[in-house]
Amino acid sequence: MDTERQDTPVAQGGEVKVPDSLRRELEDEIRQAVEEELKEELSHELRERVVARLKAELVDEIQTRIARVKAELTAEILARAVPTPTMPVPAVREFERFGWNFRTQHMILLVSCLILILTGLPLKFHEARLSQLFFDLVGGVQMSTLIHRIGAVGLIAVGAYHLLYLAAFREGRRDFWELLPRSKDVTDLFQMLRYFLGKTDEKPRFGRFSYVEKFDYWAVYWGMVIMIGSGLILWFLETSLQYLPKFAADIAREAHSDEGLLATLAIIIWHFYNVHLNPEHFPMTWTMFTGKISEEEMRRHHPLEYEELVATRVIPPGVSAGIPALAQATAPVAADSPPPPSAGKEMPGAPERASP
Amino acid sequence: MAMAGRKGLLFALGVMLALLFLAGGAEAVPKCLVCHGKPTLSKTLPSGRVVSLFVDEKLLKASAHAGRTCTDCHSDITAIPHRGEIKRVSCTRCHFKGNPVGAPQKDIYVEYAKSVHGVAAAAGKTKAPVCQDCHGNHDIRPPKDSASQMNKARIPETCGRCHLAVFSDYRESVHWRAFVGGKADSAVCTDCHGEHTIRPHESPESPTYISRVPETCSRCHASVAIVGKYGIKTEQVATYGRSFHGIAIKYGGKTVANCASCHGVHDIRPSDDPQSAVHTENIPKTCGKCHTGANVNYAKGRIHVDPTKKEAGAVYWVSLFFKWLTILVMVGLVAHISLDLFRRFRRRGSAH
Repeated sequence: MDTERQDTPVAQGGEVKVPDSLRRELEDEIRQAVEEELKEELSHELRERVVARLKAELVDEIQTRIARVKAELTAEILARAVPTPTMPVPAVREFERFGWNFRTQHMILLVSCLILILTGLPLKFHEARLSQLFFDLVGGVQMSTLIHRIGAVGLIAVGAYHLLYLAAFREGRRDFWELLPRSKDVTDLFQMLRYFLGKTDEKPRFGRFSYVEKFDYWAVYWGMVIMIGSGLILWFLETSLQYLPKFAADIAREAHSDEGLLATLAIIIWHFYNVHLNPEHFPMTWTMFTGKISEEEMRRHHPLEYEELVATRVIPPGVSAGIPALAQATAPVAADSPPPPSAGKEMPGAPERASP
Repeated sequence: MAMAGRKGLLFALGVMLALLFLAGGAEAVPKCLVCHGKPTLSKTLPSGRVVSLFVDEKLLKASAHAGRTCTDCHSDITAIPHRGEIKRVSCTRCHFKGNPVGAPQKDIYVEYAKSVHGVAAAAGKTKAPVCQDCHGNHDIRPPKDSASQMNKARIPETCGRCHLAVFSDYRESVHWRAFVGGKADSAVCTDCHGEHTIRPHESPESPTYISRVPETCSRCHASVAIVGKYGIKTEQVATYGRSFHGIAIKYGGKTVANCASCHGVHDIRPSDDPQSAVHTENIPKTCGKCHTGANVNYAKGRIHVDPTKKEAGAVYWVSLFFKWLTILVMVGLVAHISLDLFRRFRRRGSAH
């Protein structure tokens, strides 16, 4: 680090260190200014407090400016990075993040959960007037139970298929590997918390799945195991009671009722924030329906995955390791050729040709 | 002597006339009782049944109708010997709202006419009870009087005169035994079925209609003021209400268990009685009335479950676990979201 000027603030790893000489100089200047302006009006204590506050705000201001300049220059440098002529230039501004298989599973999961929640909550909150109205609407509590079980069949089917997907499809195996929790996720979480509190200006750098997405995935496992297990006990109660004592069925009822509520809250608060209300994505992110993610968003949200793709451009296309985005990126495509046939439906407003 | 004799005769005549006058008002009572005061007076009906026509004057004088004459009620008797067909007394001759003869100002007959007994009687069913079948005829007293047929202690026997099988069940039940043992709030027939508003239990207006049974039982069993003093818990109604049976019945289920389905109707016994339908040993059979294949597993666990109470055992701990899991997870997630928004908006300079 070049330190020919001893009295400049130094940025090291996001922290700002102010050398003592400069600090003293600043303090004296501030004090003088304060003394002059306010000497007769304010008490000594108040003047000291004004000095301290000015110092803190100035340091804060310097930190913000350093971070912003750093970010701008970094972006500029990255933007300027031109691949060497031997590397094919990625002609598309988008990557396919999720294939049709994954997206269809999500859609079936979505519809099934919606049906289950809508018919389940009125049973849990049966004293509410709204529940009575719902039952009147669907044709009675017995009909509601039937619809609930239809949703259950959907959920069980998609759950079973998903396990097959993880084993039998290459992208399934890759996704499973990527989704496994790692110690990096814990450090990412702490770094993110420090970022939220303003202690650092660097967001953690995520791979294909951030700790948020991994949590959403494994929480669904937890939820599905409990809901399907307890749900089947309750659905086939007389059969269950052939083998289980009654209190096991009572436990199943509590677990089913309470976990159902927890899952519902996690979806409508947490999941909906992440994909709808998050100011970056508002009104919604289309990736799970179109499968597409813009290059810019990829670099912002999943930089490690992006960098891995860039780095593996040197690998011949034949050994693409099953990453659909890489296959696209390495295929020799002209700059304005139409998108490949495997692309998802183009949704209005999708960031199709986004500029960085 | 001739003068005294004539005056004496006149005096005697006067006294006799006076006596006759005095006795004139009460003439009808002694007259009827000349025959009807004899215990052996009876009549044999064409069916062969022998009906006693004896009227006990003592009972009559102690009854609510003591100040009335026989013909006030038996208005179709005008001569001795009686002529024509003598009908059963119709109490509504006096007992209607707005009556001028001092009878209670109530229109109970209107309710009675809609009741199952009234409808049957109007349809000509001779076995259907009319007023005097329950209230008595010559010995009517207010219900508070312990000798009244309508006194709470005597109601089961009054209803039991026709409803024999029910009466014999009811006498073994916990409600009757409790009543006899001094628990005056305990239920007798009219507490559940009503008095003049009795309906068949298939009618939705009956308090014993399938969906209304929980509401009827809860009148006492959900009231701490009533059953609390006997040490009976009042949570049973609420725990039933939160069970699948309770919810289904609330939303119109017709084949769902209500209180009576498990506890019995007239032969309710405490759960520690080996003959009780809810005794541990009998539970599989009771549940088995609806659930095919009910076995001993049905008895392993509480029936009325309140997961918020420790006595629910494992269910309590599971419920507690999920309560805390939900709270902690949601606090964590909401905190993460809040911090995210905090950071975003702080950098835009809004005052947080």
